[in-house]
Amino acid sequence: MEPVDVLRAVELFEGLTDEELASLGAICGRETLQAGDIITREGQPGKRLFIVYKGFVEVTRSSRDPESKPRTVVNLGEGQMFGEMALVDLGPRSATVRSVSPTTDLFVIERDAFLQLCENNHHLGYVVMRNIAADLSFKLRHRNLVAR
Amino acid sequence: MESIYKISYVVLGKEHPGAIMNADHKPEIGEHVKLGKEEFVVDEIVDLIPTRGIFHYLHATLRAIEV
Repeated sequence: MEPVDVLRAVELFEGLTDEELASLGAICGRETLQAGDIITREGQPGKRLFIVYKGFVEVTRSSRDPESKPRTVVNLGEGQMFGEMALVDLGPRSATVRSVSPTTDLFVIERDAFLQLCENNHHLGYVVMRNIAADLSFKLRHRNLVAR
Repeated sequence: MESIYKISYVVLGKEHPGAIMNADHKPEIGEHVKLGKEEFVVDEIVDLIPTRGIFHYLHATLRAIEV
């Protein structure tokens, strides 16, 4: 499969042209992690967005009670992104994310390169930001359904 | 390019945060789904929001497998 075809199957990039996909592909890194590896830590600064290409990650948040264990808030599988909040609002990581499958393959996008690309191509910036908003909305809907 | 199904999985009957993941087909009731190391049965499947491009957005309710 061509790299552009791989990216086309990622929801974050839905609605982009082949040229735009290629320019995003040029700033997309790849990382492979083992089970138990920490990808982001709650409260730490973060400048990267991650997309699960293959595998499964666990998202945990600390409790108000320092004696309590961190609570798993969601599990994310193939095609899902995380780290987008720090990319958009520049704040600290809102959760700790850990690989739970034997191996997890990730796409990684650096914030500075991503924002530069959005500045240079406003259509690309609009589409990707809309897709990030849609993904955050989907996660909220999921949380609402879990809490029902 | 074929359709991709983005699914919000919610587990009933036990403390579980559920999962969000993509699938290459729409799950059917009774189908087994693996979330990490755990396996469940699909109890209900509904469209959550309208389709966008090749992406379909679903919500599935799961229950533990009875042994």
